[in-house]
Amino acid sequence: MGNLRTGHLVEGAIWLSLCLFLYAYSFKFDQNIEIYKFGATAWPRTIILLMAIAAIGQLFQHWKYGDDSASNALQAANVDDAESAAHEAHHESLRWYLSTFALLVIPFAYMRVPDWIAGWLEADGTTLHILRMVCAVILIGLFLTQIRRNMVGSILTLPLFFAVLLEDVGFYSLAPVFIVGVMFLFGETRRKPMMAIMALIYGLLMLLFVKILFVGLPIGNIRPFYDFGSWVVTVLQ
Amino acid sequence: MEVFNNFLNGTITLFSDPVGILIFFGGVVGGMLFGAIPGVSMLTLAAILLPFTAHLSPEHGIMLFSVIYCTGVYGGAITAILFNIPGAPENAPTAFDGYPMTQKGQAGKAVGAAVMCSAIGGVVSCIIMMIATAPIADWAISAFGPPEIFALVFFGLAVASSVGAKTFWKGWLSILIGLMVAVVGLDPVGGIERYDFEMPYMLAGIHFIPTILGFFAVSEIFVQAEKKAIGSYKAPKMGVEFPTLKELLAHKVAVVRSIFIGFFCGILPGIGATLAAFMGYNEAVRWSKTPEEFGKGKLEGVISSETANNAATGAAMIPLLALGLPGGALTAMMVGVFQMHDMEPGPLVFMNSADLVWVVFAAMFFANVSIIFVGYLETKTIINLLRIPFQFLAPMILLLATVGAYAVRGLTIDVVVMFLAGIIGFFLRRSGYSVAGIVLGLILGKIGEQTFAQAMQMLHFEWSGYFDRPIALGLLIAGFLTLGGSIYGSFFKKPKSPSADPAS
Repeated sequence: MGNLRTGHLVEGAIWLSLCLFLYAYSFKFDQNIEIYKFGATAWPRTIILLMAIAAIGQLFQHWKYGDDSASNALQAANVDDAESAAHEAHHESLRWYLSTFALLVIPFAYMRVPDWIAGWLEADGTTLHILRMVCAVILIGLFLTQIRRNMVGSILTLPLFFAVLLEDVGFYSLAPVFIVGVMFLFGETRRKPMMAIMALIYGLLMLLFVKILFVGLPIGNIRPFYDFGSWVVTVLQ
Repeated sequence: MEVFNNFLNGTITLFSDPVGILIFFGGVVGGMLFGAIPGVSMLTLAAILLPFTAHLSPEHGIMLFSVIYCTGVYGGAITAILFNIPGAPENAPTAFDGYPMTQKGQAGKAVGAAVMCSAIGGVVSCIIMMIATAPIADWAISAFGPPEIFALVFFGLAVASSVGAKTFWKGWLSILIGLMVAVVGLDPVGGIERYDFEMPYMLAGIHFIPTILGFFAVSEIFVQAEKKAIGSYKAPKMGVEFPTLKELLAHKVAVVRSIFIGFFCGILPGIGATLAAFMGYNEAVRWSKTPEEFGKGKLEGVISSETANNAATGAAMIPLLALGLPGGALTAMMVGVFQMHDMEPGPLVFMNSADLVWVVFAAMFFANVSIIFVGYLETKTIINLLRIPFQFLAPMILLLATVGAYAVRGLTIDVVVMFLAGIIGFFLRRSGYSVAGIVLGLILGKIGEQTFAQAMQMLHFEWSGYFDRPIALGLLIAGFLTLGGSIYGSFFKKPKSPSADPAS
């Protein structure tokens, strides 16, 4: 095994699986182009081949030198402090990764589950909106219960959850909650500074993008969020 | 004389336009500030601003990015000197002596030296850039066809992969991810749908703006979150004391040497300023009568590194403007600005948009000059601003990125893509991969595939055609030698840890 650790093997396996998947998928667009004899697949397949070679090369280097593998001072300078932070925070265990990926499933659940249930119930538009809100509340509750267990995983999940909720809830209603949420996850617990900063950031964004630059932000499509978003836009513009 | 007249015209255009002046000073202060704030960088600012440049004229957009580039490289020195946290890899050698100077209570002097030398290196580099870029572009029009451009892309990616990440293989994989992301969408020759996963959104390809925002701005916030969790985020503290003119004049040889090194390294696509700073520092050690003092707080170490990395900024614009090829993450974003205005950087820019080029050149010159004044006058103010707690900065950056990603096409899915890119970037960064490499691959991937296809059609699908084109052949050989050397180094050279002796 040399200096290989389980993490190196998992990393190598992920790369090689990705190569295999991308190669298999390339047959879906394996078509001839009259004026170009290499066709549409030559370029991506070359990249895939190089990826596979690089993944094997990396495994070999890990086998020989382990983690300490920067071969010149320039590479050593490029070592990202993200790596040392992860190491110091003990966020390299399988349990941490599983817990983080479980948290990251929450936003995707919101994207899919209400539609599945609505399809199963053959529900109309209004029922779908209700289903979405019920689902959002349940998933937010689930998310809140996990915050203390995995703070970094929660910080990764919150923006993604915010992004998938944007279409339905809208930027205007969601942004204040998001600002407070991010501050809290970054360790701020004092209520007054949180409220003041939230009002400041929200006010600045509204002034700059809505009042001055007329940027059209998502207003949401579920009531009462839609009404609130429309009202903010009407007042400011 | 013609260069001087063009420069004068560019200067008049720049300073006769109130909006241009505002954008110029915004870029100067913004670049310096974001370069200096631990946890974000000039790339974060550039990524946030990228979508909004669609609302600016091409002159203003490119000028803003070039100004941020000049001042941001200096700004990164502040964190390198104060906290031993280089704002960017090109500031890493600055920390070798800058941080020991801080520990000895000479932080102000180190910052002052960085201000002066960044400005000197940048100004001289700009002057050479103004003289050299147009002739190179003229030559490129006749000498550079698709085979040469493809070969240069290959060479640039080979060099970037060799130094951009923790190891050669991780650097190469980072670039290949970028190349693969660039494949998504319609193929450039036959218009065949590739990797669209039957989603209409994917047909147009993955838009580079949400991707860049995610990899740079969002992943940085996530990394800071992890640092916050372990309590390694520190608020800065220091006084300001600048070195005397006599002290700086005593190092004039080091300054001149670093300017030359910086400029020639800067022209190389892929690594520019990083290699420049390391070589500038290493040569200072090699030529010194007291090399044993380096790494322990020697002013010459800071001077050599900071002169060289800023000298590379002007040089890095030459491949971008003369050949249309970005050499690093920020110049890759500049390609994005050009594309948003339906323009392509390259030799034709000098013919079609000469005004734009000279406004940008003038802005870069004055941005470097302003480092002296703004650096001297505003360093204390900037240091006070650095005390803003990160928990207040993070939501602002995330929301600005959200608005930026959404504003491009009015699609919330772009915001989802941005945060997904941020999460992927976070996991890749903590495993030693390079997000700058991914973005370089993404931008150069499209150019690379298109020019490869054109080159092969031009050469009637005969690889031997490259033997009749010496420039293309030379670049391909140089690229293969670089790759070969890196592969050899990765297997047969003893590894170095980040804490390795800086002077070695």
